[in-house]
Amino acid sequence: MLTLKIAFRNIFRNTRRSLTTLSTIAIGVTAVLVFGAYITYIQYGVQTAAVQRTGHLQVFRNGYFNYGTAAPADWGIDRYQDALRLIREDHELKQLTAVVTPIQSLAGIAGNFENNTSKPFFGTGFVPSDRDRMKQWNEYGTGSQGLKHSGLKDNDLTQGITGTGLVRILGLCDRLHLDGCPPIPKLAARQPDPSTNALATPAPDLDDLARRDKPVGDALSQEPVIDLLAATAGGAPNVVTLRVSRVEMQTLKELDDNYVGMNIGLAQNLIYGRDEHKVSGIVVQLNRTEDLEKARARLLALSKEHGLDLEVRDFTELNAQYNQIIGMFRAIFAFISAIIAIVVLFTVTNAMGMSVVERTGEIGTSRAMGIRRQGIRKQFLTEGSLLGIMGATVGVMLAYFAAYAINHSAITWSPPGQVGRVPLRLYLIGAEWLIVITWIGLLVVSALAALIPANRAARMVVVDALRHV
Amino acid sequence: MKKYFSVLVLMAFPAFAIFMMLALRMTQVQASEQPTANEIMEGIDRVRNPGHPYRVVLALTEYVNSKPRDRDGLILYVKQDEQSRHFNNLVRFAEPPRDAGKMVLYRGTNLWFYDPNSKASIRISPQQRLIGQAAEGDVLSVNLARDYTAKIVGEEALQDADHHSRECWHLDLTAATPEAIYNHVEYWAERGTYHPIKGKFYSDSGRLLKIAYYHKYEEQAGGLRPAQVILIDAVNSNLATTIDYSDYRFQDIPESWLQRDYLPRLKPE
Amino acid sequence: MKTQALAQLPEIERADGAVVRLFNVVKVYKAGDVEVSAIKGITFNIPRQCFSMIVGPSGSGKTTLLNLIGCIDKPTQGTIFVAGQDVGTLNDNTISDFRAQRVGFIFQNFSLIPVLSAWENIEYPLMLLGVSAAERRERATRMLEAVGLSNQRNRRPNELSGGQKQRVAIARALVKGPDFVLADEPTANLDSQTGASIVDLMRRMQEEYSTTFVFSTHDPHLMSRADETFTIRDGQLVDHVFGGNQC
Repeated sequence: MLTLKIAFRNIFRNTRRSLTTLSTIAIGVTAVLVFGAYITYIQYGVQTAAVQRTGHLQVFRNGYFNYGTAAPADWGIDRYQDALRLIREDHELKQLTAVVTPIQSLAGIAGNFENNTSKPFFGTGFVPSDRDRMKQWNEYGTGSQGLKHSGLKDNDLTQGITGTGLVRILGLCDRLHLDGCPPIPKLAARQPDPSTNALATPAPDLDDLARRDKPVGDALSQEPVIDLLAATAGGAPNVVTLRVSRVEMQTLKELDDNYVGMNIGLAQNLIYGRDEHKVSGIVVQLNRTEDLEKARARLLALSKEHGLDLEVRDFTELNAQYNQIIGMFRAIFAFISAIIAIVVLFTVTNAMGMSVVERTGEIGTSRAMGIRRQGIRKQFLTEGSLLGIMGATVGVMLAYFAAYAINHSAITWSPPGQVGRVPLRLYLIGAEWLIVITWIGLLVVSALAALIPANRAARMVVVDALRHV
Repeated sequence: MKKYFSVLVLMAFPAFAIFMMLALRMTQVQASEQPTANEIMEGIDRVRNPGHPYRVVLALTEYVNSKPRDRDGLILYVKQDEQSRHFNNLVRFAEPPRDAGKMVLYRGTNLWFYDPNSKASIRISPQQRLIGQAAEGDVLSVNLARDYTAKIVGEEALQDADHHSRECWHLDLTAATPEAIYNHVEYWAERGTYHPIKGKFYSDSGRLLKIAYYHKYEEQAGGLRPAQVILIDAVNSNLATTIDYSDYRFQDIPESWLQRDYLPRLKPE
Repeated sequence: MKTQALAQLPEIERADGAVVRLFNVVKVYKAGDVEVSAIKGITFNIPRQCFSMIVGPSGSGKTTLLNLIGCIDKPTQGTIFVAGQDVGTLNDNTISDFRAQRVGFIFQNFSLIPVLSAWENIEYPLMLLGVSAAERRERATRMLEAVGLSNQRNRRPNELSGGQKQRVAIARALVKGPDFVLADEPTANLDSQTGASIVDLMRRMQEEYSTTFVFSTHDPHLMSRADETFTIRDGQLVDHVFGGNQC
């Protein structure tokens, strides 16, 4: 392995230049790996938050995903208990699933009519114990907090959770001990229609009439209670009472201003009323994300087998942001990798180029000795590759150090789609593919970078080269 | 003594028989005076609906915290559909001037709003009718005989809106068809006249949604009808509306008027 | 010494064949926009197993001629036969292999590979030929001994004196048993004493291994040891002198 021996020794011939080149390669590899580990961590975190919140798959009546949110009650799953039982008891799915639970989406108007405030709301009815179980999902050990404990009980239909914006707009901040609510600005009272000043008939005693049917002891309860109004599937106006037991800040303002979470029984009472109680979807949370396609196929097969006309959507479809976030980070990663590759390319080309020029006489001598052009090219390519190997290996080691240091530090951050801060982690362990690909990638870049000077060396005219001895 | 006893018995027997017959007759008279729940409902419906397509002028006044805030003048055209027994209502806004020409069409459970400025009619979904004036329309278009089964709770003395005491049948109504807007209704109708005095309307969840008081009965369109209905919102108790009826007129209403597509071309009078 | 008339040079054939034969060789090269005729039609033969010298003033085309003979350059016109092979027809790879097998080089600047030790430099040509490691070691060691540098086997070129470096170069040139060795001014960078010992060594090697040596030189000492001398001036052969030694 003469080529290797000569290559190796030539690298250390000009230590300063070689060290600079090696450092560039090493730092490039470290940067790519550290960023890649960071992105992996983010991806896992976002996925965990999504899977905790929406499960891996949701089963709907066919067409609900595209059209159902306008009128969820019209798109409920008929005889949903059968579908639920089917999914829970299927032997193939049993091994894959962690939680199978029904949900009901709904929308309407939330009102605090004591102080005459109301606003539209949308929200979800769920089974509290299942929801709390879903938040345990932690395949990647990121400790992300997609959901907090709901604090609701399965058999209590009177309590629920809302966003902070909703509470604020309905004027319930005091009752819920919510800080940071600015006082409601006094809007100019609507001027009464002037035509009402001269009424044909005198006004009836409305106070008296209203009071006759007011329930006793209703005056000024201090409970944070809201009314939820909605139209049932049959078109009838319906209203239920909800006691807000917990307020959860939502990450999106639109959600925070509109969200109400409640027991699924209450949601069904409100949305279906006297009609058949259905559910808008069945949530399936798996043990492992990699089983997703298998589970989806099985669910669709079950639906077809039993003639149920259901559709299945995965969490990337249910969380529109998910693919965007992943895609964005991947694009940034590709961009940064490209930039680093270019820098390494230039550095190695430059270093090898200088080496070639310095060794012109040597090249001539070797050619005179009888080495072929290809042999010269191979020699310099080997040197470039060797630089790549050494630099990449050092880079990988540095990356491990960096990951260790950061993982044992107290740095925290707040990822997108999450509330609260979590510790910053670099996921290098378990991301072996990333390390291998980066290592190989930068090795290839180094070899390619050496190609241009190597070609120049190979194409040298022997007699001219010899003159430079 | 034995002789007198037997004579007494002999004489008492016919007396007893006559007494029984009289008593029986009296109960029969009473029985024929006590209507069934269905008959009461039909009586109420007759008071509320003249039985012929008609038109009436409405004056709506909205009250907030017992103070009047808004006033609308409307003309209402009502026609009962032959087959479905639904009441189809066309409302035309007359006052205030900014709303003049707007129309609302109720067909069964469907509601369309028409704006003359844009010449466009849009369907208002039940969701959108939860609060506001459209919600009042739901109460007024309740069709008792068609959509509810009734039970007589009893007879009560009830104070009407003018603090007069009325003897009323107290009816408890449960939805019988899916088109019944309110799952449960309580009705008080005056004994003998079948005049509705008070109504309480409940949601599917059992919450009281609206209270209606009917008073100021006047001779209108071939019968005594309430000249004012008071609607009280039981959910948002600050709100109430009074509806004054005047100028009842029987009128043949062409089927085309009650079609959504015809609304842009409609020129009622 | 016999001299040959200059007017025309008939074909010269030796009874035992020549190592290198040149026929009407012309070499023209471009220097910028100018064409330079370095060799203007040369015909002669290099005899076997002799010390042949090519002499002439600088700018006479000596180096060009040596490059052509050494097969590191191709003639513009004419033919060159090396060991019976018309080297003008060979492509680059074949010529490289040819050189690797048959031509040894000794340069005035020694031209050792700086990162290799003395004995690694010597085994280098053998590696190009694919000789086994054991045989390489054996032959290189023998060659090292032959040039008297067994003690310096692991020294790098920058640790050797000029004379030592040239010895290594000689060993390197000979280790593969080439058909002939080309030496371009081998003593130019050595003092006269070292130079003399180098020439002695080369003579010894030539006798021991029966190798043909072709020199270009100014060194009178070297010139005095020539068996045949070819004089070049202005790209043409102007003189050919037989040395008289039976080589």
